[in-house]
Amino acid sequence: MNTSNVDSKPKIRKETKNKIKVDFERTSFKERFKAKFLTLTFLKKVVWIIVRYILLIGVAYIVLFPFFSKISSSLMAPSDFNDSMVRLIPKNFSIDIYKAIFTEQEYMKAFGNTLLLSLSTALIQTFICSFVAYGFAKFKFKGNKILFALVILTMIIPHRTLQLAITNMFANFDILGIFGFLSGGGISIFGFEYNNEFLSSINVLGNIDSNVFTPDGVRLVNTFWPYIILSITGLAFKNGLYIFLLRQFFMGVPDELEESAYIDGSGVFKTFFTIILPISIPMMITVFLFSFSWCWTDIYYSKVFFTGNNAPLLLTSEIGKELPSSIKDLVPNNISKWQTAIRTTGGLMIIAPLVVIYLFCQKYLVQGIERSGLTAD
Amino acid sequence: MTDMLEVKVKKKRKKTVSLDKKKARAGWIFVLPFIIGLVFVYFPIVFESLEQSLFYKVPGDATARVFNKFASYYEAFFNADTSGFAQALFTSVGEIILDIPMILLFSLFMAVLLNQKIGGRAVFRAIFFVPVILSTGIMESIDASAVLDTMSNAGGIDDGSGSSAAGEIVDAVDLQKFFNGISLTDGMLKYVTDAINDIFNIVNRSGVQMLIFLAGLQSISPAIYESVQIDGASAWETFWKITFPMISPMILVNAVYTVIDAFTVDSTVMTYISTLKLTEVEKTTAITTAMSWIYFLLVIAILGILVAVLSAYTFYQKKK
Repeated sequence: MNTSNVDSKPKIRKETKNKIKVDFERTSFKERFKAKFLTLTFLKKVVWIIVRYILLIGVAYIVLFPFFSKISSSLMAPSDFNDSMVRLIPKNFSIDIYKAIFTEQEYMKAFGNTLLLSLSTALIQTFICSFVAYGFAKFKFKGNKILFALVILTMIIPHRTLQLAITNMFANFDILGIFGFLSGGGISIFGFEYNNEFLSSINVLGNIDSNVFTPDGVRLVNTFWPYIILSITGLAFKNGLYIFLLRQFFMGVPDELEESAYIDGSGVFKTFFTIILPISIPMMITVFLFSFSWCWTDIYYSKVFFTGNNAPLLLTSEIGKELPSSIKDLVPNNISKWQTAIRTTGGLMIIAPLVVIYLFCQKYLVQGIERSGLTAD
Repeated sequence: MTDMLEVKVKKKRKKTVSLDKKKARAGWIFVLPFIIGLVFVYFPIVFESLEQSLFYKVPGDATARVFNKFASYYEAFFNADTSGFAQALFTSVGEIILDIPMILLFSLFMAVLLNQKIGGRAVFRAIFFVPVILSTGIMESIDASAVLDTMSNAGGIDDGSGSSAAGEIVDAVDLQKFFNGISLTDGMLKYVTDAINDIFNIVNRSGVQMLIFLAGLQSISPAIYESVQIDGASAWETFWKITFPMISPMILVNAVYTVIDAFTVDSTVMTYISTLKLTEVEKTTAITTAMSWIYFLLVIAILGILVAVLSAYTFYQKKK
């Protein structure tokens, strides 16, 4: 198109050290526009972009809409529930429901307990799983593959199938009869007082009155111990998945890294703690996020391990189930709608802390998985 | 001289052996927490569960138990009170089988979309992975009590979970009109409409799968795409000839994960089992435990077939 310009010498208008201004015959705007925008490839590109955005926004809507409708109904004033014009956007804002749940249902206590439980189990699980996964990934010993198959097996057999056995196990927890022996009848190596002290130290939540030590074993139901025991041994919810992911990651770490550390005189464990762990932090954050949020939102295990009515976790407490008595019957005409709004508000308050944490950590979620070297296995 | 040399050689050999042993020992120490758990916690639990399913309690005696010679597994189907079990079992297994392709297709599709360079990609990713952290079905359980209320006054607060006041997104009749010219069987049509109406459920269950697919897509070398582009392949060809084979190991992983994850969702059969009450009370424990083992074994058999079929078509870039 511009060949004529090349043939004839371009007219130099102005020339400085760094800049040069040249006169040339520019193709008209109309033609340039035609060549650039009125082609089939451009049309295809635009259509594809629009289709993509429609799809993405549609799915984002499916994910976000339940949150949106719940948040908006939780912020409505009681009068809005009698107003048929009000649907999704509250007319009169009010935070009465939040206030009532906060003050009447011991939200902070349940929140603190859930935070303590989720944080401790997530930290233990992240550490233990990376420890075990490193052993599987980098050391060749007899039975390595069989043991790893067992890890997958522990993940595959659903805990719901084993539910009754798990309950029995932790109702009377015992290893080789040691605890039963210690607390059985007259044989006591520890004095009675010492036993009581141990008893109160094992009782993390402080709401057990019956005897913890029985001749059959230790009663661990209604404490954090079942979670902690399962976490320390890498058997808790979806720990097989974490071990699998971390193993894939460690297998991608070049052996030369450790070899050079060994040559410099660092032992196996020192190498693991000072070299391997620091470089695997993104992956560990991913695993931590998984285990933290899955512990936070877990209903199944808290039902199995906390049998009491006044169990203090967010999901086993009355939040989202019972209605605060002061605001229970506030909207006489539309009472069921109002009660639904109260319940969903309770649900929102349960997951709100998790969403906040997610907003800060979601960057690492993708990063960790991206670097996991999940390729051909 | 010769003596000294021998000594040296011996020493060296001894040292290499001990290093190997040392590393093997270190490996054992690393996996020790898991082994302890396996021996002292996991195996006792599994054995007790199997024992529960194989022994009937004796009426009138709290501790005595009688070996039932696998009768509980038989009675799970043919006891007078368990007539609904077979149906519940096959409903659940059928649900799992139908959900697998839906979840895999959806998560692969979304992962491919999210992997492309578009404005606001970070925002979309952040939104799409919300189901990952809320994946244990907490949203539904919060609604469980609320759904009934909402149903009674339709048009109330919409919780987005297809079954409630929101109603069905797509009607089968509408789709039938749409597909009038195409010869689709009613079964196929129902599958499609069910899937669309179930989209909330599918989106919420495919978070981790999406993440794993995205990781797989990121690990494909851009050089391959570049060379294919130079050779003049279209986007369609690129997807089926490059992306799909390279991502096929992830499909296998995700299929397995989807099946395992399906166990954690409240399925028809698990609800049936947990609410089952037998007239012969002493048999209840054994039969319900046997039922959940049957469910597990059936799903695992299907998983085995699935893995066998998929791994025949899986492409591994690195030859082992």
